[in-house]
Amino acid sequence: MTTAHANPSPGRALRVSGWILLALGLAFAILVYSAPIDSMQGVIQKILYVHVPSAFAAYLGFAITALFGILYLWRGEVRYDQVAHSSAEVGVVFCTLMIVSGPIWAKGTWGHWWVWDPRLTITLLLWFTYLAYLLLRSFTEGSERAARFAAVYGIVGVLEIPLNYYAIELFGEAAMHPDNLERDSLGDGMRWPFLISVLAGFAAFAYLLLLRVDLTRRRAILEEALLDD
Amino acid sequence: MTGMAIHAKGLEKRFGRNPALRGIDLSIPGGSRVALLGPNGAGKSTLLRLVAGLSRPTSGHLSIAGLGAGKPAARQKVGLIAHETFLYPHLTARENLLFAGRLLGVPELGARVDKLLEEADLRHVANRTAGSFSRGMAQRLSIARALVHDPAVLLLDEPFSGLDGRASAKLAERLSELRQDDRTLLIVTHDLSRVAQVADSALILLNGRIAREIRGAALTSESLETLYAESTEGSP
Amino acid sequence: MRVLAAVLWKDLVSEWRSRERVVAMLVFSLLVVVVFHFALPGGATARNASQAPGLLWVAYVFAALLGLNRAFSIELENDAISVLALAPVDRGWVFLGKFLANFLILGAVQIVVAVVFAVFFQLDFSGIVPQFAGIVALGSAGLCSVGTFFSAMAVRTRFREVMLPLLMIPPLLPVLAAAVEATVGLFTEGKVPPGSLQLLLVADGIYCIASFILFDYVLDG
Repeated sequence: MTTAHANPSPGRALRVSGWILLALGLAFAILVYSAPIDSMQGVIQKILYVHVPSAFAAYLGFAITALFGILYLWRGEVRYDQVAHSSAEVGVVFCTLMIVSGPIWAKGTWGHWWVWDPRLTITLLLWFTYLAYLLLRSFTEGSERAARFAAVYGIVGVLEIPLNYYAIELFGEAAMHPDNLERDSLGDGMRWPFLISVLAGFAAFAYLLLLRVDLTRRRAILEEALLDD
Repeated sequence: MTGMAIHAKGLEKRFGRNPALRGIDLSIPGGSRVALLGPNGAGKSTLLRLVAGLSRPTSGHLSIAGLGAGKPAARQKVGLIAHETFLYPHLTARENLLFAGRLLGVPELGARVDKLLEEADLRHVANRTAGSFSRGMAQRLSIARALVHDPAVLLLDEPFSGLDGRASAKLAERLSELRQDDRTLLIVTHDLSRVAQVADSALILLNGRIAREIRGAALTSESLETLYAESTEGSP
Repeated sequence: MRVLAAVLWKDLVSEWRSRERVVAMLVFSLLVVVVFHFALPGGATARNASQAPGLLWVAYVFAALLGLNRAFSIELENDAISVLALAPVDRGWVFLGKFLANFLILGAVQIVVAVVFAVFFQLDFSGIVPQFAGIVALGSAGLCSVGTFFSAMAVRTRFREVMLPLLMIPPLLPVLAAAVEATVGLFTEGKVPPGSLQLLLVADGIYCIASFILFDYVLDG
């Protein structure tokens, strides 16, 4: 009868992703623990195994938010908005993890907590953008309007990324960020732990997203039941 | 279905989780005058806003004079009068009408505005700003604004609220004048005593559904009140 | 076009009658300039002129925030925004009308603030007024497109005064960075770096087009 009931068992996907996460999490713990210690940076280099996966998960989260925002505006179905909203929340969590883990590593390696490196600046802006997205949702009366405004903002949030990139390329300071993937600069024995940590990051993202979507749906069903009385 | 001024089938509107309208089927022929009644939160205003094209239905079909509601061409067919006047306080009465007319692309606007000001009995204050108007004057100007493009369908949302006895009698009179034009009227109101005067039939909305249709002799205020009480019994 | 002209005319007439926005924006941005004097070591002098372009743009953004918040709250006063939403055209034209009105009102304020800045910071405008006006117009176009668009959203949320800057500053940063860079280039070397002009044009274009298309969803009830 409603979109909330249309998909009765998100439980299965949730369980599967939970098991995958558990397996990858164990592998992550073992591999990262036993990964070699970087000869120059020391043990602090292992932050990489948290930092980079968080970055990937955060970017993925924001991309999903924009995509499902477009779907929501186009089709007008609440379930798309539920995914967009959930994805933004989970994305902000990973983005925060990235922004917090970065400076800890930077203090140890660059000697400063923060530098205005292009990628740092972009990430900070993204973080602000999606915090604004969540605030916009919570400050807008009427969930239909909140969903519509948020979808629009999510689209603009993606549009601003290339512009900000371009601006920082033009005027920003020189890039200090290590290009681990492009230059293949990972040391011996680091590749497997890195790969697994990225996969574990995606699994964590998927699990949290499904959990969050499931929560939203349950809440919708409950509210509807209360309203019908 | 064409030929109908307003036609709805399975019309639903939910605000996220809360259903405001749950399946409205409606056919209002051109030239009829229909009152929409019901307790607060029954979905009356929501229905009116959908017809006006101010918001979109979640599902179902809605057309105005055969045009899909919400499309620019359908918005051209409707005029909306709400409790709020939609007037700009810093513009004069005439400028408010001119502005509305320009948005709607009304031909020979100057003459049309003069005529409307005359009918609304506002000619003598045409160059005063709307912000200085009394509630009754602002309401009259608001009606003139809604009529500027001579819409086929006129929607009224609680037009009597906030008016004193005299102003509201005057408004009812103005509304019965409007029936002479071949215009469709859809009126949301709480004022059961006015229904017989301004409408030919009434729909009672309850929890987002049409609960009852009343027409003819039953529209007089006493029998309407009995019917209304019957229909809404036990609802919040 | 008809709707654009009507909205523009309506906003300018309303503003001319009340003058509330222009006056508030002007007084506020001049106050900001005075604050800069106290915030800078050595005060607002020629010595600090290299910082002037950045500060000037900060003053412009503050003025714009103030004015843009009003731009749509006047529409809410009698729920007049419904009249705009009822217009039987693509609602993007309504956006362009509001955008142009904001652009012109902000422009009037910007001229006065620039003159005051020149006096306080002993800036030399000789020979570069047209280029300067061009940069300000491009930057201001970006500012007003993002601002007009988000102010239509922000006024219909709680905490509307806070919501507008939160929403508009992140997307605005490329415009701001480019405008400041261009203004600095103009004052220090007498010419505008082409990269910043490109960025301004691209950003203005993207934001205007996106707002034109998406405004339909913002104006819905």
